[in-house]
Amino acid sequence: MNILDIEHLNCAFGNLIVTDDVSLSIAEGERHVIIGPNGAGKTSLINQIGGQLRSKSGRIVLEGRDVTGQAPSRISRLGVARTFQRNNLFHNLTVFENLRLALTAKFGNPLDFFSVAARDQVLAAHAAELMRKVHLDGQGARIARTLSYGEQRQLEIGIALAGKPKLLLLDEPTSGMSPAETARMIDLIGALPRSLSVLMIEHDMTVVFSVADRVTVLYYGKILATGTPADIQANARVREVYLGMAH
Amino acid sequence: MELLVAQLLNGLVYGVLLFLMAAGLSLIFGLMNVVSLAHGSFFMLGAFLGLAIVQVTGSFWIALVLAPLAVALLGIVMEVLFLRPLYARGHMDQVLLTFGFTFVFYDLVQTVWGRIVLRLPTPAILQGTVDIGAGVFSAYRLFLIGFGFAIAVLLWLLLERSRIGAMVRAGVDNAAMAAGLGGNIALLFTGIFGFGVALAGLGGVAAGPTLGLYPGMDTDILIPAFIVIVIGGMGSLRGAFVGSLLIGIADTFGKAYLQSIALFLIYLAMTVVLLIRPQGLFGIRYADAPPSAVARTMPPSTKATRAVGLIVLAVLIVLPFGLPDYPRALIAEIYIFAIFAMSLDLILGFSGLMSLGHAAFFGLGAYAVAVLGVQFGLDAWIGLAAGVALAAAGAALIGFFCVRTGGIPFLMLTLAFSQLVFSVALKWRDVTGGSDGMALAEQPSFFGFSLSHSLVMYFMTLMFFVAAYLGLRRLIDAPLGHVFVGIRENEPRMAAIGYPTLAYKLVAFTIAGAIAGLAGGLYVIYNGFISSDAVYWTASGDILIMTMLGGAGTLIGPPIGAAVFLLMKNVASSYSEHWLAIIGTAFICCVLFFPGGIWGSVQKLRGKAAP
Ligand SMILES: Nc1ncnc2c1ncn2[C@@H]1O[C@H](COP(=O)(O)OP(=O)(O)O)[C@@H](O)[C@H]1O
Ligand SMILES: [Mg+2]
Repeated sequence: MNILDIEHLNCAFGNLIVTDDVSLSIAEGERHVIIGPNGAGKTSLINQIGGQLRSKSGRIVLEGRDVTGQAPSRISRLGVARTFQRNNLFHNLTVFENLRLALTAKFGNPLDFFSVAARDQVLAAHAAELMRKVHLDGQGARIARTLSYGEQRQLEIGIALAGKPKLLLLDEPTSGMSPAETARMIDLIGALPRSLSVLMIEHDMTVVFSVADRVTVLYYGKILATGTPADIQANARVREVYLGMAH
Repeated sequence: MELLVAQLLNGLVYGVLLFLMAAGLSLIFGLMNVVSLAHGSFFMLGAFLGLAIVQVTGSFWIALVLAPLAVALLGIVMEVLFLRPLYARGHMDQVLLTFGFTFVFYDLVQTVWGRIVLRLPTPAILQGTVDIGAGVFSAYRLFLIGFGFAIAVLLWLLLERSRIGAMVRAGVDNAAMAAGLGGNIALLFTGIFGFGVALAGLGGVAAGPTLGLYPGMDTDILIPAFIVIVIGGMGSLRGAFVGSLLIGIADTFGKAYLQSIALFLIYLAMTVVLLIRPQGLFGIRYADAPPSAVARTMPPSTKATRAVGLIVLAVLIVLPFGLPDYPRALIAEIYIFAIFAMSLDLILGFSGLMSLGHAAFFGLGAYAVAVLGVQFGLDAWIGLAAGVALAAAGAALIGFFCVRTGGIPFLMLTLAFSQLVFSVALKWRDVTGGSDGMALAEQPSFFGFSLSHSLVMYFMTLMFFVAAYLGLRRLIDAPLGHVFVGIRENEPRMAAIGYPTLAYKLVAFTIAGAIAGLAGGLYVIYNGFISSDAVYWTASGDILIMTMLGGAGTLIGPPIGAAVFLLMKNVASSYSEHWLAIIGTAFICCVLFFPGGIWGSVQKLRGKAAP
């Protein structure tokens, strides 16, 4: 069974069509990258899967279960985690508190009003492990606002991984990063277990080709092509409208 | 039939006056993302300045032109000197500042013109009546309707057809623009603010001959204008127009045919609109301004903080023995309001929800004790338990509607709902005693000790205060408290990591309501008396001020704020008639010079000193 099936999805802002009859399937464990020019509707697509944006028609099916139109919190609890194109953290809280909030949602008891959260050793251990995973060892006490841009993006992923999702949605995880930071991010994504499926938006072609099993090209809300990285590189239409621009 | 037409016209008159208020409020909100509680004050000042001008010049028409200009000038000075430095700080400070100004302006009007109801003379040529076929009608009122519609058309032309209008609409469409205050935008803001204030002043003069002039007319027009904006939609001129006429007509017909349930119908209409279209009939969904930077989660207690706490507690226990009755009673009152303020802080500081209707839950708790005691002879402590339950239930119900919104709409909704509770307390005289209030027959005893002894009262209130403090402290350190803080910091992110945020906000609102109910019940036990004043919106404003004065987002701040507020009120009111102005000025200074409140500033100083 596929982890995600998108069927004839449509979405628009007023007259502006941002998702135009999009159908897409992602197999379990697949790394799928969406590319496309700015304004192609990539973020909008992720927002519909995450529940942040309502589709006009079509279906979003998660492991065979129709989740179209569900609230973001519900989608999240069904095993879909995401990051945002713009860093979207708890900027005034520490790295540790950021992660603990995410962990509490899945493994803690958020309605507990009596035990002291800071003394929860189990969650603290989980958080420490997450920090290692996203290369933020020993940074737990820092306020998220004071992290460098690249570190903030790593924390974004840490928060997303906290709930042990089945499907991870990444919206331009390397945007605005230095080459060194980008390399670290590729390592980080490469080290994710294959039990986790990844759908990711990316602009940087070296990242795309080092990560992707399959690539989808989105252009003005429509799918232009889907295939292996090699297929996409060889596709004349794609070269014309997209890859041509990048070079 | 004749009566029906007359009611309709009266409704239009009221609607037109509401529109002059609501249009300015809505513009200021839509463009600047600022909510000005002083807008009603400008309406009132317009009316009184109009009266002064009529008395000097003898001409209503000169007053109709000059008074709004004078008020606009005042508004511009206020915007440039006081409001402008606060744009970067978020809503809470703006609300506190403009609330401070309502005190000052109220005191000013009361001092200059007294408390009696005055009337602006109707201009000579409009003194007669006109036969409009379906009956005779006051010429002035007909003129008002025409005048209001003409202003509406002019406003529409200005917004739709002019360059300035295009800039304004661009601002409404793009709230982010407001963040990067360029030079032109600062000028535009000042212009819009002055313009909105002028409209309010114009409304005040125009209302003078029909509504009468009195201190307090500011609130009487502000609250319905808020309801208009909630129904019509924020930042929409069309919404302000349609909403004003709807409310104006509904209110007039309601009062004529349904008497006391009229208010309920209006709130019911408001609730229905908000359920179907949370952004109001014509409002646009807009991105809310980021919450102002309140304190982060508190570090859990250490040995040192616990030792300090114990020392403070010891002082509080020893303190009353050296004091006479009066200060003991005052401190007992402070404890009660400290509980109230801490409960507000749970939603305000820790969950990022700014309520201007928290007195409703205080009132539910208070009336439960009073009504059960007086009408049913029930013991006050049973009443207190019932009051907490009633306040929690009320908060759950009201919160169900309110938590769907945030920011300013939340503020307006909580305000409107609390006015609903107020109107029940006011109108249901048989049960509540209305504005005359009701008194407990006898002071209850506390574990066998009579609360008529000030020392017993002191320790009873201290006990509840300490219990509330420790309970809230525990809650805030617990996972649930951290969830509240997470929602305050970044609600969409909380939703994306799996928290149904509406449900959690409702939980916070309900707990806060229950604790406010506890404070209200204690207040009746303490005071032996309750009247509808305790539920009036200014009571909600007072508690908001106490909380922010002390420092929202901390648990120590609200008790400090309650103490400072009540001490200041007692001292100022015993030494000067102008205590309202003194308190108002104090708040204005506090907002300007102590962002984050007293405790927030102390923490900041300590933070600077520490590393
Ligand atoms: N909330 C919104 N309201 C109106 N238009 C929007 C909104 N969000 C995005 N858009 C528009 O939709 C189009 C697609 O945006 P997006 O999905 O963010 O593209 P991408 O991520 O591919 O760059 C863009 O033209 C953008 O301007
Ligand atoms: Mg994007």
